[in-house]
Amino acid sequence: MEANAIHDLLKQRFADGVLDFVDGLEQGARVDAARVAEIAQVLRDEDDLDFDSLMCLTGIDWDGYDESGKGKSVAILGYDASGKPETGDRVGEGELGVAYALYSHRHGHKFCLFVRVPRNAPEVPSVSGVWPTAAWHEREAFDLAGVSFTGHPDLRRILLEDGWVGHPLRKDYQMPDLWNEVPLAGRSYADAKWGEDDVVLPGTGDTKPGGDA
Amino acid sequence: MSEQVSSNGWLAQDEPRELHSELLEINMGPQHPATHGVLRLVIHTDGEIVHKVTPYIGYLHRCAEKIAEGCDYRQWMVYTDRFDYLAPMNMNFGYAVAVERLLGAEVPERAEHIRVICAELQRIASHLIALGTFGLDMGAWTPLLYCFREREEILNIFERLSGGRMLYNYFDIGGLRFDTYDGFAEDVLDIVNIMEQKIGEYNTLLSYNKIFVERTADVGIIDDADCHAYGCTGPVLRGAGLPFDCRKDDPYSIYDRFEFDIPYGEGEKGTIGDCWDRYMVRVREMYESCRIIRQALDAMPDGPIMSEDIKKLVKPPAGSLYTRTESSKGEIGFHLFSDGGSKPFRNKVRSPSFSNLHVLEKVGPGLMVSDLVATVGSLDIVLGEIDR
Repeated sequence: MEANAIHDLLKQRFADGVLDFVDGLEQGARVDAARVAEIAQVLRDEDDLDFDSLMCLTGIDWDGYDESGKGKSVAILGYDASGKPETGDRVGEGELGVAYALYSHRHGHKFCLFVRVPRNAPEVPSVSGVWPTAAWHEREAFDLAGVSFTGHPDLRRILLEDGWVGHPLRKDYQMPDLWNEVPLAGRSYADAKWGEDDVVLPGTGDTKPGGDA
Repeated sequence: MSEQVSSNGWLAQDEPRELHSELLEINMGPQHPATHGVLRLVIHTDGEIVHKVTPYIGYLHRCAEKIAEGCDYRQWMVYTDRFDYLAPMNMNFGYAVAVERLLGAEVPERAEHIRVICAELQRIASHLIALGTFGLDMGAWTPLLYCFREREEILNIFERLSGGRMLYNYFDIGGLRFDTYDGFAEDVLDIVNIMEQKIGEYNTLLSYNKIFVERTADVGIIDDADCHAYGCTGPVLRGAGLPFDCRKDDPYSIYDRFEFDIPYGEGEKGTIGDCWDRYMVRVREMYESCRIIRQALDAMPDGPIMSEDIKKLVKPPAGSLYTRTESSKGEIGFHLFSDGGSKPFRNKVRSPSFSNLHVLEKVGPGLMVSDLVATVGSLDIVLGEIDR
């Protein structure tokens, strides 16, 4: 089934729940975040659609995204000496999003669902009841991008430690300086200097481990 | 169990009952040879029977997806090597195809052929490790040594091609970093000839060994419904009797030009989808890879190895695309979101072992502890790719 036919079918069924058609290399539909679980159920169970496989589920932070397509998105990766992101005042706005890449083994067609949720209440209904594989993918999206999935059976961090603060794939994420008393900010080995006996690491005066053990 | 224990801890005396044992919580890993890496499984056992199994992952997490947002498309290729460090060529291939599709770029014929040869050699090398370590899990020490012997020959070819023995960084967006060396075709043909003989030896040594069959047949059955539900791909999916392979069903590169079959589990020794089926799919895939390599070698043309249309700094048009390719473990997918710039806005990696491990929560309960080891071994997971 063609992607725009699938979009029309969903549009008939869900009216306002389905927003515009996404065209391009990858075709799909923008849908209302609150109804994504119902839509997923139909996509899987309808005989003509039969999307039995959720290939990939992605959590995204759209903060600072350049809609013009010129690649001027604000990527917040560097921090100045005071710990403030270098890109300044645009931090922590914008929406969060989730993308679902679907495939049907029987019909061989693909479809993508895109949802967007506000940053202060990033709640998306879990689709783990429809495709159990989503359970781990959603845990990952929660862990790294901070999207909260309602109705998830076990929404815990999966890749990071349980008590970790923040979600690394958020564009306004700041890495803590210390974690369990281990400094996280790496030393720049490019600034290391040759001392009298051994290499002197920047900012410490220590020599490399093993030098004077 | 616990409700039958009175408040003072003694069993209530009013009725005869079966022998009950308390659930015991044990850790398998993170440092344990049977977990194939730094994986921690918390197992609740009732005697020898597994009641519940919870995998804990993340010990190798480096957040390569965050790093991707800070590098341009080309720079990030080295990180793909580190995902599945037993099959870096397949990871390189997946990422290269993903970016090229986003760019709409063509790759020169010669490069495509070398890519396919490298990817299939790597598949053999990766399956050899899977075979050897699976045998090791089942108590067979010798096959591992033979598997490593043949893998060594493949690594020698890769070393001469790329300079690396483990992490190659050989593929580039739009082609390859280096052309082949003199005598590459002969070396590859040699190893293909050797492999086709040796697979028969592995079969006598391990595949049809009575002890091995007893340990793996009818154990850890993952059926097709579970595979679809839990997103299992690769030999796990094919072991469940479904001949699905991205190389055939969602073709990329030049795989549509070659003749090869897709082996799938038929329940020869037990039930469809048991550990032996998954194991045997890998053995048979090595044959098929040899077939593909022969055809690719025959058809390999001369010419450039790098597309001339692609600039040094690639800037795909704004948009998103999920691209999947078949690695030795299953479907490796990259969901790239471009804003039109030189760095991806978001680069999500869908790794095959991540989903293949997830199914353990479903199939683990009810197995014996020793069969759990067999099941984990037959899934052939690599933690670098799960944790990314």
